[in-house]
Amino acid sequence: MEIIKGVPLTSYILLCSMLFSIGVLGVLYRRNALVIFMCIELMLNSVNLLLVAFSRYYSDSNAQVFVFFIMAVAAAEVSVGLAILMMIYRNTKTTDIDALNKLKF
Amino acid sequence: MILNDFFIFMKQELMLLFIIFLLLLIKVGKDRSNESLLYLINLLLLINVIAGFILPGEGSLFSDMFRTNPLIALEKNMLNIGTLIISMQSYSWLKSHKHLLEFYILMISTLLGMFYMISSGNLLMFYLGLELSSIPLAALVNFDLEKKASSEAAMKFILSSAFSSGLLLFGVSLIYGTTGSLAYAEITSHLSTDPLQIFAFVLFLAGFAFKISAVPFHFWTADVYEGAPVAITSYLSVISKGAVLFVFVSVLYTVFKPLADVWYGMLFVLSISTIIIGNLFAIRQDNFKRFLAFSSIAQVGFILVGISGSSSMGTAAVIYFVLIYIFSNLGAFGVVSIVSSLTGKERISDYKSFYKTNPFLSWILTIALFSLAGVPPAAGFFGKFFLLIAGAEKGNYLLISIAALNMIVSFYYYLRIVKSVFMEPNESPIESLTIPLISKVALYICLLGIVILGLWSVVYDYIFTLSPIF
Amino acid sequence: MITQYLFYFLTFTAIFCALLVVFSKNPIYSALYLIVTFFATAGHYFLLNAQFLGAVHVIVYAGAIMVLFIYVIMMLNLNKEVEPHKSNIIKIAATVCGGILGLVLIAALRETELGEITEYSNNGIGLIEKLGNVLFGAYMVPFEISTVLFLSAMVGAVFLSKKNIH
Repeated sequence: MEIIKGVPLTSYILLCSMLFSIGVLGVLYRRNALVIFMCIELMLNSVNLLLVAFSRYYSDSNAQVFVFFIMAVAAAEVSVGLAILMMIYRNTKTTDIDALNKLKF
Repeated sequence: MILNDFFIFMKQELMLLFIIFLLLLIKVGKDRSNESLLYLINLLLLINVIAGFILPGEGSLFSDMFRTNPLIALEKNMLNIGTLIISMQSYSWLKSHKHLLEFYILMISTLLGMFYMISSGNLLMFYLGLELSSIPLAALVNFDLEKKASSEAAMKFILSSAFSSGLLLFGVSLIYGTTGSLAYAEITSHLSTDPLQIFAFVLFLAGFAFKISAVPFHFWTADVYEGAPVAITSYLSVISKGAVLFVFVSVLYTVFKPLADVWYGMLFVLSISTIIIGNLFAIRQDNFKRFLAFSSIAQVGFILVGISGSSSMGTAAVIYFVLIYIFSNLGAFGVVSIVSSLTGKERISDYKSFYKTNPFLSWILTIALFSLAGVPPAAGFFGKFFLLIAGAEKGNYLLISIAALNMIVSFYYYLRIVKSVFMEPNESPIESLTIPLISKVALYICLLGIVILGLWSVVYDYIFTLSPIF
Repeated sequence: MITQYLFYFLTFTAIFCALLVVFSKNPIYSALYLIVTFFATAGHYFLLNAQFLGAVHVIVYAGAIMVLFIYVIMMLNLNKEVEPHKSNIIKIAATVCGGILGLVLIAALRETELGEITEYSNNGIGLIEKLGNVLFGAYMVPFEISTVLFLSAMVGAVFLSKKNIH
C-alpha cells in the first residue's frame, strides 16, 4: 500500500486560527446577542477542528474524546444562554446588547 | 482495595452528589414549608463540612483524572465552610422565596464543579469542572426573576464567560498540540519557550484572569455583582474566585514551571494594574455591592503580587489569604444581605448612623472592613503581610512599594464607610432589625474566623507544611 | 491528490461562510451560513478519518443547536429591519482587533516546526470501537460529571422560563 501524501499540519492550524479570529471578530462586531452566541459557537468549532487535527497527527484518541466533551458543554451553554436571552427579550423587547445599560458604570 | 479508595478519596464529591439527588427527589415530592426545608439543607451542609475533615487521603484515581492530597482536601473544606456561611446568611431571603430548591440544586452543582476542577490532573477534567462551575452560576445570577437588573447581569455574565472559555480552550488545544498529552504530569516535560506555546499560555492566562477578574478582564464584575441577588454576589466573589485561585496557583507552579520567566512579567503587569484600577474605582462608588466588587478586584491584585513571587511561600500565603478573605468578605456581605433582604436598601449613604439602631450589625461590619483593609489586629493584616513577603522573593521592590502604597489608598475607602456608620447623622436611618438566629450564628462564625486566624499561628503553620516546595 | 483538492475546497467554503456569518445583515442568513460552515467542518472531520466524530458533529451542532437558534429567531421574529448595528468606528476597531489576533497566531506559527499528516494509518483511532474504549475506560469520571452538567443546565433552563406572577 503506497503512502498517500496528506495535508501538512501547519495548514490545519492556519485554517483553525483564521476561523477562530473570524469568531472573535464576530463577537466584537455584532450587536445582536443571538449572533454573538453564534460566533462563540464558531470559536468552539475551530477549537474542535484543531483538536481532531492534532489527534490525527499524534495518533491519540484522547483529543477526540475531548472534542466530545466540548460539544456537550457547548450544547448545555447554548440552552442556558438562550433561556437568559428570552428573559432579556421579555424585559426589553429587543435582543440588542446596547439596551443593557440600566446598570451604570 | 480500589473500591475503598474510591469512597474515601471522593467522599466530599459523593456527599454533594447525594445532596443534589436528595433535593431533586424532594422537589418532585409533595410541597413542604420553606422553613423545614431550609433547616434540613443547612443541617446537610453542616454534616458535609464536618465530614470533610475526617480521613483526608492522598492518591490519585482513574489514571490521574482525580488527585487528592491533604492540601486539596483543605481547600475543599474551606469552600464548604464558605458555602455553609452563605446559606445561613441568606436564610431570611430564601424563607419566602418560591424557588428554594432550584437555588440549592444549582449552587451545589457549581460547588461540585469547583471540587472537580481543584482535584483534576488532566486538562479535560479541568475544563469540564470549570464549565460545570460557571453555567449553573449564570442561571443563578438571574435568580430574581422580577428584576430587570438581574437578567441584564446574567446576560453580561454568560456572554463574557462563554467568550473567555473559548479563548482558554484554544490555548488548551495549542498546548495539547505542541506537547502531545493532556495530563499535567506529561505536559511539563515537553514545554519550552516556543512562540506557539507562549501564545497558548497567554490565551490560558486570559481565561483565568477573566474568572478572577484581574484588570483588563474585569469589566463584567461590577455590573454582574450589582445586578445579582446578594447571596449570589457573595458566592461569586468569594467561592468562585477562591476556587479558581487555588487551581491557578497549582497549575502555574507545577505545569507551567518551564515558562516561569515568561509569566513573571505578565503577572507583574496584571497585578499592578489590578490594584490601581480596583482602588481608583472603589473610591467613588455608592452602591454597596458595586463597592464590594471593586474592593474584591483590589484584593485579587494583592493575591497576584503574592503569586508572582513564586517562592515556596507563595502557595501557603495565597491559601491563607483566601481563607481570611472568605471570612472577612462574608462578614461584610452578611450584613449587606440581612439589611437588603429585610429593608431593601443597598446604598452606602443609607448606612449613615447605622450604629444607633443596630449596634451588633455595625460592629460586625466594622471588624470585617478592618480585616479587608488590613488594620493590624484583624486577620487581613497578616494575610497581606505574608502575601507581600512572598511577593518580595524576586527582589522587585517596585512591585511591593506600589502594593503597599495602594494599601494606604484602600484604607480611605474602607474607613470612610466605618466613619459614616458611626459618626454621620441621618434623618431616616435603617430601623432596628431582628436577625434570625441562623444568620446571627453565621455572623459570629465570621467574626470568630477573623479574630482567631490572625492571632493563632497554628493555622498558617499547618498550611505552610502542606504546601509543596516550588 | 484528491485529498488536497478536497481540503482546499472545504477550507474555502468554511472561511467564506464564516465571514458571511459575521457580515450578513439578516440574522436568519447568519444562522444558515453557520450551518453550511458546520457542514464544511464535518467534511474536514471525515477527511481526517474521524468518522464517528463527524457524524456526531452534524447531529449535535447542525441538528440540535442550530435548530434551537433558528427556533428562537423565528419566535422573536428578527429580520433585517430591526437588526441593530454598531457605529462605524467600533466596526473598524473590531476588525483591527480580530485581524491582530489572527496575525499574532500566524506569526507564532511560523517559528514552530511541525510535521505533516502523511499516511492513512490503519490504527483506526477515529472509529467508534476505539473511541468507545477510551471514553468508557479512562474517561469515565468526566462522562459522569457531564451528567450533572446536563442536569443542572436543564434545571436552570426550566427555572428561567417560569412566568413571574406579580
